[in-house]
Order: sequence, then structure tokens, then C-alpha cells
Amino acid sequence: MTAGQLLTTLVTIVVVVSALQGACAYLILLERKIAAYVQDRIGPNRVGPRGLLQPIADGLKFLFKEEVIPDHVDKLFFLLAPAVAVSTALLAFAVVPFGPTSVEQPPAGYQFVIAPRVDIGILFVFAVSSLAVYGIVLGGWSANNKYSFLGALRASAQVISYEIPLGLSVLGVVLVSRSLNLERIIAHQVEHGWNILFQPLAFLIFLIAVFAECNRLPFDLPEAEQELVGGYHTEYSGMKFAMFFLGEYTHMITTSLLVTALFLGGWHLPGLGAVTGLVGVLLKLIVTMLKLFGCIVFFMLIRWTIPRFRFDQLMALAWRGLVPLALLHLLAVMVVLEWQLPRWLLLPMSLLLVAGAAGSAARASAAPRPALTAGRG
Amino acid sequence: MNFDLATYYPIFLYLLVIVGFAVSALIAAHCIGPKKRTAVKLMPYESGMDPIGTARQRFDVKFYLIAILFLVFDVELLFLYPWAVVAYRESDRAYALAEGLRPIVFWEMVVFLGTLGVAYVYAWRKGVFQWR
Repeated sequence: MTAGQLLTTLVTIVVVVSALQGACAYLILLERKIAAYVQDRIGPNRVGPRGLLQPIADGLKFLFKEEVIPDHVDKLFFLLAPAVAVSTALLAFAVVPFGPTSVEQPPAGYQFVIAPRVDIGILFVFAVSSLAVYGIVLGGWSANNKYSFLGALRASAQVISYEIPLGLSVLGVVLVSRSLNLERIIAHQVEHGWNILFQPLAFLIFLIAVFAECNRLPFDLPEAEQELVGGYHTEYSGMKFAMFFLGEYTHMITTSLLVTALFLGGWHLPGLGAVTGLVGVLLKLIVTMLKLFGCIVFFMLIRWTIPRFRFDQLMALAWRGLVPLALLHLLAVMVVLEWQLPRWLLLPMSLLLVAGAAGSAARASAAPRPALTAGRG
Repeated sequence: MNFDLATYYPIFLYLLVIVGFAVSALIAAHCIGPKKRTAVKLMPYESGMDPIGTARQRFDVKFYLIAILFLVFDVELLFLYPWAVVAYRESDRAYALAEGLRPIVFWEMVVFLGTLGVAYVYAWRKGVFQWR
């Protein structure tokens, strides 16, 4: 690593970390505003013009709030949990491209990613973001509070369950782009068309799994207010609560960028590849940001559109719905690649699988429910 | 394409910055925030009721079941990743499969997924996926 590379990396890291924090703060405001408009309210409008300074006021409040560490907690783990939650969420961002990148050797120009050319790419993201469950479990366990404990149990069961369909749905993309490296996956889509066009089912499964991994509505059972108060962070306040929150929103940004990179072609728009120079770089950066923003707004609108799942429905969706669907989809991709069939064949295959799943789900819900006390088959 | 630890240096650097940020945030909050400790404030929060017993009680065995299922499927998944990367590589890139190996690998993967499918059907019939 030369001094120049070191400096570039350092500047990128500083910019990314501060941009992520600013983005998180303003996304919270955006979410509150969207929530307000959906519910026919105005939302925060007191601090600054149209409430635009609200995030800054919130940040200061978090800092100056009393630091409460209750008597009954396991102090070390109680402090460790928010640190783990925020660090894993931030660390997963390391290999995710947030602007134009290239796969040329040696790399041409500045790469919009903290660690360029990491070949395990997407696997690194999964590895690190599955560590986030430790933040939840430690927080729930150490707080020694029944709400926290139940929330942590639910959260860990949910997060590990949805990890399986998440990983399976990406396999199809890895198979066609022949790499785990996210820059290469984007480059492949630039050449052969966006993955969402060929693998809409993988996109759908990935999106659902990501919603569950982020603990967002309709999958926010770990912190279902009506049942568990705050879930695993019931006992947290002030800065430690803010760190959980920051982790959650960073996770949302990271996964939205992942959706963009894996399925929506990253920085690519038809015709944009021809634009070179600084204008091209800026345009590609803007396109990435717009796609990211679109994903996030979609996340937020879903929150106010679909009611919360019941826990058994949540588990059934992962294990009985998404896992077999993802496996069958993987098989379909394998068959298409092995016999070198045209790739658009994947589209009707996806639709067929979705229709089959919907049909069997409809039949299952029409059948009389088995008694809850029925023994094992 | 060969492994080069230098590509991972930025990640280590980033990790240092993140840990520094997390620790300094905790310390800053500890130093700045006021502390007025009262007995009631330091009690576990249970919607205003006095808590009965400890929170660390036995919990339902089905959570263990989910953990075991996760282990089984996640390990299977990890085996699939290296295969997915090299299976259909262009032959001019590193680690590409030899042309003659391709059908063998394909059918081996079908068998592998088949055993996974058998395990899945077995678990389903046993009622593992039913949340009671």
C-alpha cells in the first residue's frame, strides 16, 4: 500500500463514516415525515425551517441525556451490545460500491468503495452482518429485563431464519456473474443487462429477507411496541440507544446499496457507460444515489402499507415459503447455465415458481386449520 | 486474481476507525451526561410494575430447534458458494473448471441439492417447521 493509496483510503473512510451518520440522521427525519404524511399529520416542524434541524437537535439530545445503567444489568455486555450493533452495521459497508467502479487491472481512476477488489465481496457482507445478531442477543441478555429477553429471543430466531433465503437467493446472481466481487457483479450487469430482469424471483426473495434482517415492519416483531415495549433495547437510553438506532439505519442503507448493486445494475443506466470523464463519474454517482434513495423510500412506504406478521407466520414464510422457492430457483438457474439455454427463459421460470407458490399457499389457507394440540406427524 | 492481503488493508483501517468511533461515543456520553441515580430509576422496566423474579428464565425449546436448523442449512449454503463462483467461469479466467469436468460437477451438485431436499422434506414431515 503506497502513501497515496493510504491517503485515498483514509479520506474515503472519513467521508463515508460521516456521510453515513448524516444520512442516518436525515433518514430518521424523512421516515418521520413520511409516517406523518401517510397518517395525515404534519410531522416534526418546530426545529428550524420545516423541521430540517430536527436531526441535529436529536443528536445533541442523545449526547446530553442522562446515562442510565440500571443496577441489575451485566455491565460489560450491556455496554458492549450497542458498540457491536453499530460496528457490524458500519463494517459491512466496507466492500459495497456506492458509485462508479471498474474491474480493470490495474484499476482506472478513483473507486467508489472503501476496499476495492475484495474477491469475497458479498460473502464478507453476509459474514459481518450476521455478526449483528450478537449485538441483539447481548443487549437482550445483559439487560436482565423480561421484555428485552423476549425481544432478543425473537430477533435472533428471525435474523438467523432469514439468513438462509438471503444467501440462497444471491447464489443465482453469483452463478451468472461468476464472482462474489460486487464490482464484478455490477460490471457483468453492465454488459448483460440487470439481474432483476432475469431473476425477479431472486430479487423478491432477497428483498423480503432483507426486510426481516433489518427488523423493519412488516417484520419488526423483535421490537413490537404493543407487546414488548422496546424489545431488546428496552433498557437502553441516550447515546447507547442512539447507537442501536444508527446501526439499524446504517444496515438499511447498506442493504439498499446491495439491492442496487446485485439486482439494479449499480451505477448503470442504459447509455451511461459511454459518458466518460468527470461528468460521467458524477452522473454515475448521482444514478447510484437515486437508486439507493428509491430503495429506502420503498422501505419506508412498505412500513406504512403492510401490517405486522404474527410470529408463526413469520417463521412459516421463511422456512416453508422462501427456502424451497429459493432452492428451486437455484436449480432453474443451474439448468439454464448448464445447457446454455437463453437467459430470458429464467423469467417465465420465475413467474411459474411464484404462481406455484401462490397456488399452494392459497390451497393451504383454504384447508381447515389443524388443531393446535395435534401431535407430530 | 491471486489472494493478496493488501486488498484487505482498507478493511482493517476501517475497522479501527469504527471501533474508535463506537468507544469514543460511549465515553463521551459517559462524561457529558448528568447522573442522578435513584433506586426506582435503576429498577428493571416492566411497565411500572415491580418485577417478579429474574428475567433469565428457561425459554421454549423451539428456539433451539431454529438454531439447529440454521446451522444445518447455513453450512450447506457455505458449501454452495465456492462452487457457484467457479462452476460456469469463462475458461480464460483463473480457477475455471476444465471443460470435461462440467457435466460431472453439475450432476454432483444435483445430488447434493437432492440430499438437502430429502433432509428438508424429512424435517417438514416431522413438523419441525410448524411453530406451536
